[in-house]
Amino acid sequence: MLDHILSILIFFPALAAIFGFMIQKDAIRAYGVSVAAIEFGLSLWLWFAFDGNVSGMQFMENLPLVPSFGINYILGVDGISLFIIVLAAFFTMIGIASLTDTPNEKNMIITLLFLQMTMVGVFAALDAIVFYVFWELSLVPMLYIIGAWGGPLRIYASVKFFLYTFAGSLVMLVGMLFMAYFYYQATGVWSFAILDWYRLILPENLQLWLFAAFFVGFAIKVPMFPFHTWLPYAHGQAPTIGSVILAAILLKMGTYAFIRFSLPLFPDASAFFMVPIAIIAIIMIIYTAMVAYAQKDVKQVVAYSSISHMGVIILGTFALNVEGISGSIFLMIAHGVVSGALFLLVGVIYDRRHTKMMDQFGGIAHVMPRYATIFGIMLMASVGMPLTINFVGEFLSLLGFYQQSHILTLLAGTAIIVGAIYMLAAYKKLFFGEVTKEENKNLKDVNKRELLALIPLSIITIWLGIYPKPVLEPINNSVEAVVQLMHNKATSDLAKERIPNLVEEVVVITKTSVQEVH
Amino acid sequence: MEKFLYIALFAPLVSSLFAALFTTTKKKTFVGIIASLLIFTAFASSSVLLAHILNNGAPIHVEMMTWMATGDLYIPFGFVVDQVSVTMMMVVTLVSTIVHIYSIGYMDHDKSFNRFFAWLSAFVFSMMILVMSDNYAGLFIGWEGVGLCSWGLIGFWFHKESATWAANEAFIMNRIADLGMLIGIFLVYWNTGTLQYDGAFEAFKTLDTATLTWIGIFLFIGAMGKSAQFPLHTWLADAMEGPTPVSALIHAATMVTAGVYLVIRSNELYDLIPHVGLFIASLGAFVALFAASMALVNRDMKRIIAYSTLSQLGYMFAAAGLGAYWVALFHLMAHAFFKALLFLGAGNVMHAMHDELDPFKMGGLKKVMKGTFIMMTLASVALAGIFPLAGFFSKDAILEAAFVEHHYIIYSVLLFTAGLTAFYSFRLVALIFHGEERYKLFGIHPHEAYKFMLVAMSPLLILAIIAGAMKGTYYEMVISVLPETEYHIHSHLVYWVMTIGTQLFVIGAVVYAYKKYADWKSVPDGSSDVEQSFMYKLLYNQYYIPYAYEEYIVKPYREISEIFWTKVDMKVVDATVDGIAGIIYGTGEKTRDMQSGNLSTMLKWMVAGTVALLSLAVVFGLAARNSDEIVAILSALGVM
Amino acid sequence: MEIGLNHYLVLSTILFAIGLVGVMKRKNLLLLFFATEILLNSVNIAFAAISHYYGDLTGQMFAFFVIAIAASEVAVGLGLLIVWFKRHGNIDLDSMTSMRG
Repeated sequence: MLDHILSILIFFPALAAIFGFMIQKDAIRAYGVSVAAIEFGLSLWLWFAFDGNVSGMQFMENLPLVPSFGINYILGVDGISLFIIVLAAFFTMIGIASLTDTPNEKNMIITLLFLQMTMVGVFAALDAIVFYVFWELSLVPMLYIIGAWGGPLRIYASVKFFLYTFAGSLVMLVGMLFMAYFYYQATGVWSFAILDWYRLILPENLQLWLFAAFFVGFAIKVPMFPFHTWLPYAHGQAPTIGSVILAAILLKMGTYAFIRFSLPLFPDASAFFMVPIAIIAIIMIIYTAMVAYAQKDVKQVVAYSSISHMGVIILGTFALNVEGISGSIFLMIAHGVVSGALFLLVGVIYDRRHTKMMDQFGGIAHVMPRYATIFGIMLMASVGMPLTINFVGEFLSLLGFYQQSHILTLLAGTAIIVGAIYMLAAYKKLFFGEVTKEENKNLKDVNKRELLALIPLSIITIWLGIYPKPVLEPINNSVEAVVQLMHNKATSDLAKERIPNLVEEVVVITKTSVQEVH
Repeated sequence: MEKFLYIALFAPLVSSLFAALFTTTKKKTFVGIIASLLIFTAFASSSVLLAHILNNGAPIHVEMMTWMATGDLYIPFGFVVDQVSVTMMMVVTLVSTIVHIYSIGYMDHDKSFNRFFAWLSAFVFSMMILVMSDNYAGLFIGWEGVGLCSWGLIGFWFHKESATWAANEAFIMNRIADLGMLIGIFLVYWNTGTLQYDGAFEAFKTLDTATLTWIGIFLFIGAMGKSAQFPLHTWLADAMEGPTPVSALIHAATMVTAGVYLVIRSNELYDLIPHVGLFIASLGAFVALFAASMALVNRDMKRIIAYSTLSQLGYMFAAAGLGAYWVALFHLMAHAFFKALLFLGAGNVMHAMHDELDPFKMGGLKKVMKGTFIMMTLASVALAGIFPLAGFFSKDAILEAAFVEHHYIIYSVLLFTAGLTAFYSFRLVALIFHGEERYKLFGIHPHEAYKFMLVAMSPLLILAIIAGAMKGTYYEMVISVLPETEYHIHSHLVYWVMTIGTQLFVIGAVVYAYKKYADWKSVPDGSSDVEQSFMYKLLYNQYYIPYAYEEYIVKPYREISEIFWTKVDMKVVDATVDGIAGIIYGTGEKTRDMQSGNLSTMLKWMVAGTVALLSLAVVFGLAARNSDEIVAILSALGVM
Repeated sequence: MEIGLNHYLVLSTILFAIGLVGVMKRKNLLLLFFATEILLNSVNIAFAAISHYYGDLTGQMFAFFVIAIAASEVAVGLGLLIVWFKRHGNIDLDSMTSMRG
């Protein structure tokens, strides 16, 4: 069974979703929770069976689909993707378990299970076409979630979300097709397998163009400034569960794809574009943090804060060294946990008051002390307090980037200041002061069902902040392999200089336009 | 011995978690008692460790577990107990034990009694991490941890707008400095490859001065925030919104001295870069004077003491910057004792006066509050640096250091500040305890604090009196880690003239303060000539610095944020995206007329399209066939 | 003057142009069918001529195909036309705009 665990992880929720149509309405939640729990159990088993000391792909599966064009169903995980898969399973589980008064609950749960299939598929796929299929498929359930259960502007928001990301990924598809064509030219056979592509050394000018093509797709997904405006709408209109999954998992697809595709395929271009991308990342960090500070809707604060944090992730990724990339992957998980929890927390008050406007609240720490405490923990994680999960990621990302540029890191480091400003201001508006509104005087504190989701998240937040090793070590091993690959493949002097060599011996690669690394 | 290290470290954590269990229930006195006992346990363990260090001097170094490890980076949870950290541990645990016990009385009527102890113990835990860590990353954990607890405790009464504002201000301002600290840590890592103190210090010796200077500057920026040095000082005075025991523990005795601790801990770094040290010393001297001047006219009892804290921190930095690390640490210790005592006394007064803070509205309290009166007076004597109390020994050593190092400007600034210190301390004492009972005008019936609170304060009183006597032992102990710099003024005559002169100057200031304020009659209403003068207004408004920050930093930040959101994000970025979508929609809308459904129109379009495509094909075909000629013609025309 | 390939092709082009104009201009559905017949037959002429020119029968075969298809097309088309006329009472093209976008 372990041989096919990835396929099972992908298609089990989808099958279960199809069977879900036959389940009666009042039993659907129990059904959904148990399916998601089994899936989560399987993902934990995957983690357990995963050998953290191996840097390469594990649990590989290979099934030919269109062999003449080199399109194969190839799956595999390494330390980079493993934890995002576990996180996706985890969030689907607690998301379904903590669903509150949703009309058409059955459809929602079935949609979530389909969504889970696509999410796991994206992170497990090792074939560009399979990756692309799951990448695009993931839009559909999310479109449906926003469009069917969203707020008043849901149609606008969902269409914007869909078209924007879809347009970006079409450019990416062109890039992928060209990669495969290039591979065909170089070797005489077609292949869409990412691991095959890794062996290609592309001429630098070609790398720049391909990098740009992939960049458009990934940057919109992340979302990077100035492609970010779909996100506040999507979050603003999506129901709580939609925002949670979107922030926790879907956004990570973009940053994950940078590490899976852009860095190892185009090391020279990555080094070349490092500074401009870092500047975009810094704009993301500071600018969106300031925009977040100006928001009046607490959910928008969290939405913009996501963009700000994604900036740090991008920065860590483009540090191009082990510390930075490991940090950025860890921060993906950390941000998933923390922002997911924050959206759940916003959902808690939204369920009670049906408003997310901060001026409608104030002083609710008096009436909801437990809620205030959990929110406080997540607030502190979000501002990067040491011994919480976010700090490890942020610290490593910034530390890594510091090797590349002092001044840019100094600017990016303002993340810890501006982040504190908007989060503390929002917390103050919500929780501090006297209770002024009559409706807020009798708000119920978090109930059991909500605690079911929030307590595990709080525990993870602190546990991985104190002891990140179980996650960081496998990440580190895989990242070392990626960085070494990049260094070996790099042809330009700039890239050689920026990407560290981890093994002492110097690998000389001659500068030819097309050749393979053996 | 490791056992005691862990007890000292984790007893406060246990205490905090225990108290946290009861945060949502109503007040339970036993929570406070158990928390105090656990903190006392930590104190006892620290004492055992101190005895161990005093006896054989071998530092204890443990590595609990790995924290972060990736690439070449390796950061463990490592703890070290050496002469410096054990001194800090003693100060922290002792003052916190006393403050915990005191708080049982002070927070008696507060409904969030349990929550208070959870935060307070959490603070002690963070502070212990800060001082015990054996690497910069661990220090940073404690550094941020104390910032967090300070936030929670300043904003403890979160129903008050001013308290939450001050809490956020403190947190954010500290964050600004923390960025500097973080950059300093990055610099250390990339230049030495490690964050462990011993490894890094070893590697510093091989680095060039420019790098070391940057490291020194950035680490010191971190220290400036935590120790509230100019220009990041405004949060400290505002932090007085917190409960008074918090002010005593965090904003006087321990947390604010973390910056000094950092400089002392990094002494091997700062020894290599004396020019940065001189800057630190100059800034310290400046802050000493600057803060003391603001304390002269303030009418808020707690703020006066806060400014005096600031001023004394300036002294510590002056000493540390001049390389007299042991003197700085000694002053830190002595200051912790008498300043905590002063604050706790102020807390008693506040309780008696129903949270009235203006000393002009008090007066004559010595009759009803004898114990507090004695304690505060003695603490002020110690603060003023009058023989034979603790402050004399520590402050005198700083002055000597400045004099012997030939930094006469720093010396004279510090000397002058000593006079100011004596003046404002006794202005406060005189206004509170002497003279007419002005509080009667406001219908207040003061009463002395609980007995056990006074008893709890007494160890501080004793230490404030006798700490000076420990100077010798202490010196013997710490010189094994800190540079052995003894300051002897060569001529005996000069030494005695200086010491006695300083004493006379200080006592003169005390007498002047008494003369001026001891029989104060009325509550000033802002109409007197002094209050109208420019200097008074300047000092009373804290040199208009908080105003400037509000006006030129906070407000613009808010406005720019607003513009970024409403104008840039909505009107430019998003509008561009929507505009592109709009163009596409619009094109469709315009061109839908083509699909009129009328067969003949559609056929016309079809024909037109076919013709266009055909002609394109012909043109390109011709062009491809005759490309050579075209290139030739174009190059002849100079186009290509 | 001998009649050569070019003459046939010119004839074919002229017929095609007439047919094209007819297709675009006619509003009566029946006449539209006539015009399409002219178009198809112009192509048939071209096929037959070129086939003869190259001595390859494929072109003529194609012409037969076209004739067969044209016949069936007219059969189906006329059937639809009659149904339309019965429903609406006219076969004016301008009234048939239900496919309007």
